[in-house]
Amino acid sequence: MGLFDAIDVAGSGLAAERLRMDVTAGNLANAQTTQGANGQPYRRREVVLQEAQGGQSFGSILASASSSPVNGVQVAGIVEDPSASRRVYDPGHPDADAQGYVSLPNVNPVTEMVDLISASRSFEANVTAMQTAKQLFTKTLELLR
Amino acid sequence: MTLFDTTQLSLEAAMRGSSLRQTLLTDNLANVNTPGYQRKDVDFHAALAAAQRTGETAESVSFNPRADASRTVRADGSGIDADQESAELAKNALEYEALVSVAGTRTSILQIAMGVR
Repeated sequence: MGLFDAIDVAGSGLAAERLRMDVTAGNLANAQTTQGANGQPYRRREVVLQEAQGGQSFGSILASASSSPVNGVQVAGIVEDPSASRRVYDPGHPDADAQGYVSLPNVNPVTEMVDLISASRSFEANVTAMQTAKQLFTKTLELLR
Repeated sequence: MTLFDTTQLSLEAAMRGSSLRQTLLTDNLANVNTPGYQRKDVDFHAALAAAQRTGETAESVSFNPRADASRTVRADGSGIDADQESAELAKNALEYEALVSVAGTRTSILQIAMGVR
């Protein structure tokens, strides 16, 4: 237990928020993709975060033994949004069905932008927390001078 | 008669508590987007004050972090308000710096008394 824990925890937060940004960027990039990996229109993806449980490493077991419940955050998984695809009438489109409708991904650019801002702000909050921890650690080291 | 008096030992215990709190607040910030997360905090002031009342030595004080299940501030069940956590983090950092400064000054007084400086 120490200030390095704070830096590790903030680091886990940075990794999680960066993944959220990556996935959101992927959604935006695929907003018009009518042929995903399975041949179906792309489905919007979302990152689910959970409190880190602590691995099986010696360090984490030691930390849990000394009653420190601090683990940071981890990614529980990336899930697909089950909501329906957008149906747009575009008979000239190669992927249009018999009625002339094309199924477009269930990506709403506005939602994605809001998610992007949220991830970016949370990232900044974690950077600040890490900087503060670093500053405190430097201050403590000055005691040795 | 020990080299370090009660004040010095209390300062060190407070630094221990404050750095634990710093880690917990950082954990809260890292989990700001975790659904159902319960905010964690430690009241090290109360633990120290209780120890001083009962005459327990400051070195043996243990701080027990706890999760607050009572409040939910977001629709996804998360109990974290990022602004509030950031403010607490800044306050706690200042408090830690103050503790370090005072502890450092007291140590240098001892060093001067011993003729090290």
